[in-house]
Amino acid sequence: MKVYDVVPGLEFNEEYDLQQSPAWFLDATHSVPPWTPMFGWFWVNFCRHGMQYGAETLSLPTVKGWDWRFKDGGGYLCLLLVDSDKEKEERQKKFREAIRPFVDNYDGLWGGYVKEMLKRYDQVKALNLDTATNIQLLENFEEVVDTCRRMWEIHMHMMYGTYTPYVLFEQLCKQMLNIDDTHPTFQKMVSGFDNESFRVDRRLWEFSKKAREMGLQGLFMETPAKQIKAKLETSDKGKTFLKEFDQFLDKEAGWRMERMAEINVPTWQEDPTPGFETIKLYLKKGGDFDLDEDRKKAERERKQAEKEVLAKVTPEQKGWFSMLLKVAQNCSRFSEEHNHYLDLYTHALIRRSCMGLGKRWAKAGTINQPEDIFFLIPDEVRKAGINPDKFNLKPLVERRKKEWQEWAQRGNPPAIMKEGFTLDQAMGGLVQSMDPIALKVVVGSMPVVRTELKADLYGTCGSPGVAEGIARVISRDEDLPQIQKGDILVSASTSPAWTPVFSLINGVVVDRGASLSHAAIVGREYGIPVVMNVFEGTTKIKSGQKIRVDANMGAVYILGK
Amino acid sequence: MMPCTMLGAGRYHEGKPMGEKWTYWFGELGKEANDSVGKKCANLGELTKIGLRVPPGFAISVDGYRMFMKETGAGEEIKEYVRREFGDTKDVAQELEASRVIRGIIERKEMPSKMKEELIAHYKKLCEDCRLADLSVAVRSSGAVSMPGQMETYLNVKGAEEMVKKIIQVWGSAFTARAISFRFQQGLPIDWAPIGVAVLKMVNAKCAGVVLTVIPTTGDTSKIIIEGNWGLGESVVSGEVNPDSYIVDKETLDIERTVAEKTKMVVYSDKGTASVDIPEEKKRLSILVDEEVREIARICKQVEEHYGVPQDIEWVIDLDLPFPENLFFVQARPAKSVKKKGNDADYIIDLMTRLFK
Repeated sequence: MKVYDVVPGLEFNEEYDLQQSPAWFLDATHSVPPWTPMFGWFWVNFCRHGMQYGAETLSLPTVKGWDWRFKDGGGYLCLLLVDSDKEKEERQKKFREAIRPFVDNYDGLWGGYVKEMLKRYDQVKALNLDTATNIQLLENFEEVVDTCRRMWEIHMHMMYGTYTPYVLFEQLCKQMLNIDDTHPTFQKMVSGFDNESFRVDRRLWEFSKKAREMGLQGLFMETPAKQIKAKLETSDKGKTFLKEFDQFLDKEAGWRMERMAEINVPTWQEDPTPGFETIKLYLKKGGDFDLDEDRKKAERERKQAEKEVLAKVTPEQKGWFSMLLKVAQNCSRFSEEHNHYLDLYTHALIRRSCMGLGKRWAKAGTINQPEDIFFLIPDEVRKAGINPDKFNLKPLVERRKKEWQEWAQRGNPPAIMKEGFTLDQAMGGLVQSMDPIALKVVVGSMPVVRTELKADLYGTCGSPGVAEGIARVISRDEDLPQIQKGDILVSASTSPAWTPVFSLINGVVVDRGASLSHAAIVGREYGIPVVMNVFEGTTKIKSGQKIRVDANMGAVYILGK
Repeated sequence: MMPCTMLGAGRYHEGKPMGEKWTYWFGELGKEANDSVGKKCANLGELTKIGLRVPPGFAISVDGYRMFMKETGAGEEIKEYVRREFGDTKDVAQELEASRVIRGIIERKEMPSKMKEELIAHYKKLCEDCRLADLSVAVRSSGAVSMPGQMETYLNVKGAEEMVKKIIQVWGSAFTARAISFRFQQGLPIDWAPIGVAVLKMVNAKCAGVVLTVIPTTGDTSKIIIEGNWGLGESVVSGEVNPDSYIVDKETLDIERTVAEKTKMVVYSDKGTASVDIPEEKKRLSILVDEEVREIARICKQVEEHYGVPQDIEWVIDLDLPFPENLFFVQARPAKSVKKKGNDADYIIDLMTRLFK
């Protein structure tokens, strides 16, 4: 076995894997920049497991979930299609029953899962990592492995079950009303809901008001976010503020990281800088800025759009149509809430457990520094878990780290295909699968190039509207503070931790995304235009250029060339 | 599915004493008369009883059928034919042939004179009541189990002679090939299919339609849906046109109105009824004003309360009479194929399943 094997059994192998599927797609939303070995191991093993678990539990008639491979830090995926019509029919029968709770008792189902996960999280967090024995640390790690496996089962059961009615709703809107989910009225219908991510943002906004009331505004504005904590500790007022803020981190918002799909950056618990950045953003917006007003406006617009659409369906259709509308609307809420309760929380606890081991191992000389643990995989954790002082994993870490840096420099191709196989063919297969996640989150619809618009980039509408502003190309979370009021954010994709900047910017351009990806959902909630799937936004647009986005037409114009 | 109306099949046989009452004014009837005069007549009687305006008219009970069959000899002829020609296995061609022959036997017979006298007397009384000579009437089948659209109905029948002829034809229509096939499969007598007949004044319809006292797609019983079109109700019942619809809240009588673009309507013609173009200026015009909608809703609510289950009611507004005397109800029956509450979910699940085809 090669020592560089990161995800044993699931490393991409051109010879075998192109035989299985002629096309494999890079999950650019989650695996750009490339994953560390430890995180890649968790994702490829368990996201893969969860998707097949979810598709099988729901008995989706046309697709059995996805297969995943790991290649140079990238996650590559293909769909497992149902081949025979007979099998499709059999699956249809089971599907009918399996999907029912998503129509009948959505809140009960989701609420139950949230409770189950929170209980697991509490158990995992209960161990004091500093005083635990090596055996306890290893046990804690195994618990985290199991928690991650379970998280993905719940994640994908919920996601398939939530997005299926959404796809149906969109299709019916197309047929009955001639609007699809890139239409402003449609988008208004599925936005304007409260959810856990917004509640966290709302709390940060309240902290910004508190800072102003307490006369700490100057301190926040003048101090770089990284030093705010230390500065606050120097005054009584600051200490009072910090005490409350720490409580908020512990109870409400600490278990999240800047990058959702990675564990090598600190959680807010460890480093509250991102929280302070957001508070600074809100202070920049000024005292009369009212976050609630934005939310209320979205809610009003949703109700108006609902009314408009319901007026167009016949009286006989109204009953089930409005029921389906409600079921489809769960998407918006689920999309943000699952980030909070599932991915972010679990990944934060994987990091916590890994760092517990990492600190112990660095002390024992197994590795050089705690963060080196992210260049190992669970098999190696087990190898050295009980007696770390007896093993030297430093050479392995060094080699993997070097490889990892090369992966990032090289970048991964967006798709790996068999010779003679075209991207169009590959996309056709995805659409044929009717896989709701493939259609609405990862792949999205292909932009229509309307040459008559003479735009510089063509994409699809994620959130309607037209805006102009200075482009700010952001590739790393650390660059977020560069964003000024009125800018247009340009990035590969956005993640939940970026949500607060949406209240500051005029528009968004993302390389990849579909109508249910983060940028689209949050853009709609904040009422700013979002153009998605432009593919080359981050390479063609330079920070500082003036650009115009016309999301309704899916067009991006670079004005200041 | 029951193809039509076998009133007490096997129960009303020849040999019952003659001379008993076999015609009834609607006002004399109620739902207890169902087995004797059929559901339609019993319902009209019941509607009259609970104070609803129905077009004036009378019912012919199954005893009328029995008498006709006996006195004309048609019953024996049919029996003989069936005995002779009908074996143990049947195919569609045989059933079609049997239908043709049996209906021929019935329609070639004259109405026995005593019966004819009584029918003509009833017709005359109707003309008097309506103060119209040669009153146009509808002659409809009325079975114990109603199957809309299956049995014959003759509209716009003028004159006593014509009416009598149509009554005979309605009796004959109990022997459609489908009805014969059904009876054969069920092991019921092939040759015996007593049905009731309703004879009622034709309404000079300004507009007409149907009411459901429940929303069929959702099972919502707090609302009433009225659908209608210009002219006769046939265009609405048959589903040929996209009708105007009015959803009325049973409590508040608030109206949710959807005015459709209506292109065709059914009207009387020389030969019965015909589908004609709706004049341009009436195409997008609501067929009912609020006052009429509320009156229909109010009355239908009463009918539902009377019967205890959601109703499917046919209504018509007369062109000549003043409101509200021009509002007639021609049929009321339990609403069928109405979704139970909660079935929206089933429907959505159905749609989702189809999504993956």
